[in-house]
Amino acid sequence: MKLSAVRPIAMVLSRELMITALLLLGVSFVVFIILFVSPGDPFSVLLEGQLSTAEVREGVREAMGVSRSWYMQYLSWLAGMLTGNFGTSIRMGLPVLPEVVRVGLNTLLLTLGSLIITLLIAVPIALYSAVRGTDKISWSLTMFSYVISALPVFWLGYIVIYFFTHKLGLFPLAFGFSSGGQKYRWLYQLLPIFVLGVGNGTISEVIRFLRQEMGRVIAEDYIRTARAKGASVWRHSFKEGLLIPVTEIVASKIPFILGGAVIVEQVFNWPGMGRMAWQAAQDRDYPVIMGIAILAAILVRMGSLFQSVVYVIVNPRASKE
Amino acid sequence: MKRTLVILLLFVAAALMALPAAEAVRKKDSRPDGGSLNYGEYGRPATLDPITSNEMISLRLTELIFNGLVGINEKQEIVPELAERWDRSADSRTYTFFLRKDVMWHPKEGEEPKPFTAEDVIFTYKIMMHPRTITPLKVRYEFISAVEKVDDYTVKFTLKRPILNALAKFSFKVIPKHGPSNPLYLTREDPFVRSPIGTGPYLLKNITAEREIVLAANENYFKGRPHVDRFVAKPFADQNIMTQALMFNAIDMIVLVNPRDIPEIQGDKRFILQPYNALSYSFFGYNIRSPLLADKRVRKAFTHAVNRQEMLDSFFNGQGTIISGPFAPGSWAYNLDVQPVPFDPEKAKTLLQEAGFTRGADGFMQKDGKRLALTLKVPIEKESEAVKRVVLAFKNYLKNVGADIKVEFKEWQAWKEDVFFEHDFDIIFAIWVFDDSADISSLFHSGEIGAWKNNFGGYSNPEVDGLINESKLTLDHEKRRTINRKLHAILAEENPYTFLWTLTNYGAYHKKVRRVAIHPYKFFSYADDWFIEEKDQK
Repeated sequence: MKLSAVRPIAMVLSRELMITALLLLGVSFVVFIILFVSPGDPFSVLLEGQLSTAEVREGVREAMGVSRSWYMQYLSWLAGMLTGNFGTSIRMGLPVLPEVVRVGLNTLLLTLGSLIITLLIAVPIALYSAVRGTDKISWSLTMFSYVISALPVFWLGYIVIYFFTHKLGLFPLAFGFSSGGQKYRWLYQLLPIFVLGVGNGTISEVIRFLRQEMGRVIAEDYIRTARAKGASVWRHSFKEGLLIPVTEIVASKIPFILGGAVIVEQVFNWPGMGRMAWQAAQDRDYPVIMGIAILAAILVRMGSLFQSVVYVIVNPRASKE
Repeated sequence: MKRTLVILLLFVAAALMALPAAEAVRKKDSRPDGGSLNYGEYGRPATLDPITSNEMISLRLTELIFNGLVGINEKQEIVPELAERWDRSADSRTYTFFLRKDVMWHPKEGEEPKPFTAEDVIFTYKIMMHPRTITPLKVRYEFISAVEKVDDYTVKFTLKRPILNALAKFSFKVIPKHGPSNPLYLTREDPFVRSPIGTGPYLLKNITAEREIVLAANENYFKGRPHVDRFVAKPFADQNIMTQALMFNAIDMIVLVNPRDIPEIQGDKRFILQPYNALSYSFFGYNIRSPLLADKRVRKAFTHAVNRQEMLDSFFNGQGTIISGPFAPGSWAYNLDVQPVPFDPEKAKTLLQEAGFTRGADGFMQKDGKRLALTLKVPIEKESEAVKRVVLAFKNYLKNVGADIKVEFKEWQAWKEDVFFEHDFDIIFAIWVFDDSADISSLFHSGEIGAWKNNFGGYSNPEVDGLINESKLTLDHEKRRTINRKLHAILAEENPYTFLWTLTNYGAYHKKVRRVAIHPYKFFSYADDWFIEEKDQK
């Protein structure tokens, strides 16, 4: 890559990283306030199953050495985080960062995998209908994709499990990771990835957006020129008609896919971030919730960062806008 | 003479040396050893030690890993465990335990196993009672005033006052002095809570990346090596999937079957469904502070209005027992002479009229211009499908007799705050779970009204208070039983709750596992006697 191409990327990156830092601060603050004002506290999970008198509850707070005021709690969490210490889970007693990273990788595998599935289905349909216009095949493919997108992901998950394990007897242990020691366990892991890829509700949107963008680009003058002089239409339309729209839509859909992952992880017993967040929310285990919120925010930001970088690479002028 | 003595000494020394090195002590029941048992759990345990843990999943695991001074056998009798015998002083204020001398702790990695001694018992008690240790056990052991070591294998406990069934309380699990890294108190951050060392039939082998907990037979278990080689606890996030996993032989046992799945498992010859009595019951609890509910006739009318048998049959496949009072029917305190209030909507309407209510234009009862409208607060728990049906049925039953019930579902912690702290509710749906002491004093004594106390409804009755006080003081089991029977009769009449039912719990397992006995609460207490026939071990 030429130096002139790197500079705009660096500019975009530094600007975006600053925004990201501010955003993370905002996210952590808002999440913390919501946790603080919501009823219950993280210590009652330690007292579950016994008579929890006011004195006992106070004793726990003291034993754990946690401050009473919300700002002291928040500031001490923030100070810890800035030095890379995300605190310790109240329920599990384990340091938050390695735990969240461990399950975060599982979630990343699930979400990235499902993104690929989504694109594998959506892109061909979109391209086909952009190039051919509305004919019988493209119409039925599009309708099909709309129907699929409307299926709720939890329902799809149960149906798939019912069908594959109950009816067909395939995937004897199709429960995400709990298939330890099995020979084709990677195969079992494809099932939840596939379910999330199909059921995250974004296929139809990806198709619509891509078809529209591709259609617009194909109608542009420079494509007509290219076609007239016998050059490859595909090569000329690829960047603007496919690459940019795909990264754009992928980046904007990451939050939704993460949301869907919570449900898929629950149904398929997939040890990911969503399941941990679900448990932690019930326990009011605020160090864990904060850790996950920050990590999720980082994932989402990385998506849009990736999109900006691609955009600038394709069109270096954009960095000055 | 001298020479024989030397030989004799040598012999004794050799015998002593042979003791710790002795090969696995086989059980003498000629049942085969081997095989492995995978069981499903709904969720994952936070900790694996018996002190900081407070959930059922951990309780079941600690039952396999640790022992108490005394144990409880299948007939609910107290039997020797780590203590081989004990003495009780004449005034019942001191208990002296004589410990077994042949017990070794599970080996720590790379270390020789250490022997179990009196030091460990004292250590456990002290760490349990330390103010910085957060444990549900603390309140249960406040009756002990002192503990002292008499010698390496003798411990003496002194009680603040004699209490009934004191011996059963010494079933607390003992942890080793060399276990926790902090010798004073135990927190969930201590590595010991994830790599426990016990004396029990199974020792923790490892926790896999999938968070499966693998336990291996303790070859040197003092009651003889357990028969089954491995126990593996597999975590599930979904109960339906867990049942499917059983059906596909991915697991061999479910400790608590979802009531909905009972017929499916029942119809399958490969599995055995084993009922066990739960010491718990469901109820609708009333806020006596509400002027509409202060009159016991209103509460009784509500109990008459609901058809409990029908709910039990249609929502829980009839797997349970209708109860009439404040004890679980499996408990010794339950009074079988008190009959459950029968389903009788007409009687309910009559009672409401006696209490001064008349039917208004909108079909609902009213009194002094005030409608009989009440809020029912229900906690959303993990598996709340059946609960939802119960509360909606309740709403309909009460609508028939003219009461307007508004149902509010609340997240667990929010619900607890509303009920136990703010007392902001009219009716709640909940479940009490008891241990075997059948102690209801905190539920209905007027001294237990207040923030975060268990008498959430504010029920107050001097007669009940008196009986509870009396039962706490008595040391005579029969007398306490009589008092509890009286309490049962009074509370059944007063209806501070509408007592519903005790559900029958079912464990389900593949029939290759033999001689399965289940403890109603701790579940795995007798697991060292379970076995798998050689042909099924594969």
